[in-house]
Amino acid sequence: LQKAPLGADLVIPLLALGFAAYFFFSIRELAWEAKANGVIIGTLLVLLVFVQLVRIAVAVMKGRGSLRTDPLWQPREVLGKRIGMVLIAIAFIATLKWLGLTLGLLLGMASSLWLMGVRKPVRIALISLGVAASAYLLFIAALDSAFPHGPIENAVAHLLGRA
Amino acid sequence: MTWQLLADQFATQFGLWWIIIPAILLGIIVGILPGFSPQNTLIMLLPLTLAVPVEQALAFMIALYCANHLSGGIPAILVKIPGSGGAAATTLDGYPMTQKGQAQQALVLCFTASVFGGLITTLATIALLPWLSKLGLYLRSVEMVVVMLFGLTLIAVIAAKDTIKGLIAGLFGLLIGVIGTDNIYNTPRATFGFLELYDGVPLVPALIGLFAISEALVMLEEKMIVSKEGRERAMQTQWADTLEGLRMSLQKWWHIVWTSFIGLFIGIVPGAGASIAAFVAYQQSQMWSKHPELYGTGIPEGVIAPEAANNGVTSGTLVPMMALGVPGGSTAAVMMIVLQYHGMIMGPRLFTTNPGLAYGVFVSMAVAYIFMIFTILPLARYMARIVLIETTYLAPIIILVTTVAAFAERQYLFDMGLALVFGVIGYVAHKTSYHVTAILIGVILGPLFEGYLVRSLRLSEGDPMVLFSSTLGNILWALLVLSLVLPVVRASIIRKKATP
Repeated sequence: LQKAPLGADLVIPLLALGFAAYFFFSIRELAWEAKANGVIIGTLLVLLVFVQLVRIAVAVMKGRGSLRTDPLWQPREVLGKRIGMVLIAIAFIATLKWLGLTLGLLLGMASSLWLMGVRKPVRIALISLGVAASAYLLFIAALDSAFPHGPIENAVAHLLGRA
Repeated sequence: MTWQLLADQFATQFGLWWIIIPAILLGIIVGILPGFSPQNTLIMLLPLTLAVPVEQALAFMIALYCANHLSGGIPAILVKIPGSGGAAATTLDGYPMTQKGQAQQALVLCFTASVFGGLITTLATIALLPWLSKLGLYLRSVEMVVVMLFGLTLIAVIAAKDTIKGLIAGLFGLLIGVIGTDNIYNTPRATFGFLELYDGVPLVPALIGLFAISEALVMLEEKMIVSKEGRERAMQTQWADTLEGLRMSLQKWWHIVWTSFIGLFIGIVPGAGASIAAFVAYQQSQMWSKHPELYGTGIPEGVIAPEAANNGVTSGTLVPMMALGVPGGSTAAVMMIVLQYHGMIMGPRLFTTNPGLAYGVFVSMAVAYIFMIFTILPLARYMARIVLIETTYLAPIIILVTTVAAFAERQYLFDMGLALVFGVIGYVAHKTSYHVTAILIGVILGPLFEGYLVRSLRLSEGDPMVLFSSTLGNILWALLVLSLVLPVVRASIIRKKATP
């Protein structure tokens, strides 16, 4: 009989425990009005996390579960795509200031599609251009939102005489 | 109020179809996109609504607002990404219906429950306005603490497979919801040194991360979001599926009625809103169902309850605004500004000084709902096709486009990163059954709960017994305990019956 991989079940409780500890630390010198709600919620949360830790410990000791974290990584064949997508999203946000929304999204989409296994250049180009152009029209042209402007936005503004 | 007045108002509003239909279409688009709230859209269109006559401005704002509440359910059903917090509960059964190849039927259920739920409660509001307007006055901060805790009990019930996990997720969300400066002294708490968190955790990045990004990371495991059988069904969608959705709605007409009234009553409470209404309706629907174990597997009642309730909220939210001059939500606040600009003074006297316009608001809403069903129902068949897009294309589009949408609410690049952080938390929660919905309820309720709790405690100079000092509050406490205990008792009875 395969043991349940309960190690993954520890991630959220430990994250919650760490955050509650930081929360208590951050409110230690505040007035009671600023503390009351956080103390009540945080205490309940810590109690429940301990209940969950005890449940997992009992299951592991009785041989019903193990501390493996498999559910987070499986299926292994898509793990690379998953981590890659998060890294592309981080790179997209980090470079947005310089690339601007349109070029950033264009490059982000193209690299994501390539990562997902799409190898037809025309398809990659068409989808990326479609998404980037839609974003430009909605966020820059129509709504004039405060997204950073990059080479494409500046070039279009120059062409339209708005530079 | 006379019948003549109402008849005139209906005639006037039907004559404004040329404003109502474009507003409905705009509201649908805005509602589908996470990050675009109706209040932001109305603010952007403020120059337009201030420039036209008040009746036209009103018809436009109301139609956009109602359509927005309806369409948040569309992405919730198709790709498990709620367009707004009010549609988060729709994902629970709407998305499983999609996975079974019943996306078209689920969309029709969503549309009919939204439209008829909204229409019924609007007509009820017109009839009962003088009495409904007083309801909000009975709920003070003490009672509101219990109402908020009702939201909390839902966490345990929704995550019924493992209550402890549900409660941990919910309380974790509640604690995240407390991040930011406190209400009294404005001192920052748990902001990790980020100025962007001083106003609290913004809801849109949380919603996008917990639902959209985490779901996109999970959906990579499959070629398509629908099962193989579901794919075959989705490829052969016909008008008959729309008719089947209508038939399902007709069969559950009473469900639409009573869950929409939950939305109406919660909508009247200032600050409560569509998110809470939808979850309360879902939980009540499950609690009183003959087959509660089927909730979450893709059943019509699980789509009807949250959708009818979140549209029942639309008329409820406007009741305190019209009758007391207290806007029930942020969209109502924007509408109030526009109406005041046009010289309307909100409050009890409005119904004697300007009854045409006062009742006209709700008549306009009823007319918007009537137009809406004819505008949106034929689109269900075509919208349902989106589930046939391969995840190879869908996942990158969802991750990058929703990350961009996270920027829309406050226009901070920080919020895009925050959405990604919530996405990773949501992914872990999703893979370990910690229920992202419970975390989201917590984030939504956090600031509201703190506001009411601290107000109650200040009034009693710190004495927590104040929470048990009112009769209405104590009745609500009893109902809350009943909500927690009843499902456990029922499950135990079912288990005993099943054991030979």
